[in-house]
Amino acid sequence: MSYIKINQDKCKSCYLCMDVCPKKLIKKSEKIGKTGQNVAEFIDTNNECLGCSQCALVCPDIAITEVVKE
Amino acid sequence: MSEKQLLKGNIAIAKAALNCGCSCYFGYPITPQTEIGEFLSLEMQERNLAYVCAESEIGAINMALGAASTGAKVMTSSSSCAVSLMQEALSYACSDELPIVLVNVMRAGPGQGYIFPSQGDYNQSTIGGGNGDYKIIVLSPSNVQECIELTYKAFYLAQKYRNPVILLADGLLGQMAEPAKLFDNPYPNIDNTSWILNGSNGRKSRSIHSLEPSQLKLNQHIFNLHKKYQAIEQNEVDYEEYLCDDADIIITSFGSLARHSKAVCNHYREKGIKMGLFRPKTLYPFPYKRLNELSKKTKLFIDIEMNLGQMLRDVRLSILSNAQVSFIGKPVGDWLKKEELINAIDNIAKEQYASI
Amino acid sequence: MQVFSTPKTIKENSSFTFCPGCDHGVALKLVAMVLDELNLQEQTIAVASSGCSVLLYDFLDVDCIESPHGRACAVATGIKRAHKAQGNNKFVFTYQGDGDFASIGISESLHSALRGENITAICINNTNYGMTGGQMGPTSTLGQITSTSPLGRNKEYHGFPIKTAEHIALCDGASFSARVALYDVKNIINAKNTIKKAFEYQKEGLGFSFVEILSSCPTNWKLSPQDSHKKIEEELSKTYKLGIFKDIKNE
Repeated sequence: MSYIKINQDKCKSCYLCMDVCPKKLIKKSEKIGKTGQNVAEFIDTNNECLGCSQCALVCPDIAITEVVKE
Repeated sequence: MSEKQLLKGNIAIAKAALNCGCSCYFGYPITPQTEIGEFLSLEMQERNLAYVCAESEIGAINMALGAASTGAKVMTSSSSCAVSLMQEALSYACSDELPIVLVNVMRAGPGQGYIFPSQGDYNQSTIGGGNGDYKIIVLSPSNVQECIELTYKAFYLAQKYRNPVILLADGLLGQMAEPAKLFDNPYPNIDNTSWILNGSNGRKSRSIHSLEPSQLKLNQHIFNLHKKYQAIEQNEVDYEEYLCDDADIIITSFGSLARHSKAVCNHYREKGIKMGLFRPKTLYPFPYKRLNELSKKTKLFIDIEMNLGQMLRDVRLSILSNAQVSFIGKPVGDWLKKEELINAIDNIAKEQYASI
Repeated sequence: MQVFSTPKTIKENSSFTFCPGCDHGVALKLVAMVLDELNLQEQTIAVASSGCSVLLYDFLDVDCIESPHGRACAVATGIKRAHKAQGNNKFVFTYQGDGDFASIGISESLHSALRGENITAICINNTNYGMTGGQMGPTSTLGQITSTSPLGRNKEYHGFPIKTAEHIALCDGASFSARVALYDVKNIINAKNTIKKAFEYQKEGLGFSFVEILSSCPTNWKLSPQDSHKKIEEELSKTYKLGIFKDIKNE
């Protein structure tokens, strides 16, 4: 099961990760982050994550701290 | 190390720098200091040391800034209008606490002026043209032998206080050859392992920077620098007194011009007039305290400079209203000669003695 | 298997202070990843400059010095040469904006390249002075509206922008000069490989290596991060062509 970890304290809500996820597994959460916007969250109920790391590569704040690919 | 040899001031400075382990020189040509860079170009290349003919004085002083951060002994040299270009980096170097030796062989200004000798950079050196509360140690040699001594001292004080030091020579000293002895560097090396940038192998990474977005921290940093400057003022004041103890009249002058002032003292002593010379060897820190002491028992001070009265301000700040202060000055060109000085002093003495 | 983790050359618990969506963060992350991959962290001295890139030392866990505005390549020259004179070979790179590298510092930059200083310069080109609020810079494109070219950059009135990577490529002392972008994953991967190549050229002692990174400035461009990337893809990369302009190994 592949997955990513998001450090929401670092997220600035640019949502570049949401656009790039091929499975659209990253969404705006209810939580308001440091820029006053909803921070990103990773929800993968059907274990669809490919572990492709594209989200981690585009994140300008290294808020995606880890990607594990199984 | 060696017997006396005939040495030009510029060459003496360059040789002393090499002697005390200067491993980096960055410079750009400007008369009357160019021989320093010319001499070092071959010497340093042969020793595999760092020598760059920089694209500008701005390039040179910033290379010096980088090199100093590695703990190397670093020197650059220039003259007056080109030292103006270095003021930004000097302010950074003070905030970054980086040891750089800058030799300024003064020429005439303002602006491009000309290559005539002058002492017009007293204010630029001691007060500075950079921004913020900073101080640079300024050493003032008066002969070629002192060019050697004070070059050693400049490197030592730069390392000791982690601060830029200016060796303030002038066109006369730089170009004049006289016998001098190139002795060994008398100063110890200072341990710099706690702050230099050499890669974080086996330790935490370090940074050297002047930017500080925290008001609290920036205030603290400037107060810390201020404390260091107070220590410099406490420990490093240096001056020469010549026949000052019983003097009724004391001449104040600095650098090579002080040699003429000394000759003037001898002239008046022979005539039974008690005249002495007070010569600061450190322009910053200035010997305010000693000059103030002298002013309590001396009637008249005559400040003589090859400018229109730059050190005069510090002389007056030392003497306050304790004694009369007169000034003889000429901005550029042939050094004020003994005869010219005597003539001017005779006139001052006539006026001043009438009033005291 | 862990396929991505925070680079160890990024300081623990540090957060970038760049605006949301700013490519500076991506560029710095790539630099850190390459320093990790080449195992350079403990022998590196980084040179920060003025502008948005100034806080480099808060983010990168390497020895770091801040240079006066525009002087990064001169400071780096001093560091590299001073270590060499002491018998040490250290890895030295600068991280500068386009205003720093190509306007106020163009003399220091070009002459470092001409001398073939064995250092690497990374230049973030976001076509404006970002930190001061988006003024016209040396790389602002013709027609670009900035706070000091409110009617758009006009060649008769303001003059032309500079193509930095092409200029560096003309310097005989340069070993490598390239321009990359970060507007999509493919370009980010290419940028990382390009930075790696530039760093490797320094390790091999080949001379001045240079990477210009076309970067977004969503705040001052007044565009979303997504639209900023679209602008780079559709407009800027036409003016500032991506590619390698000098590679000493291919000559």
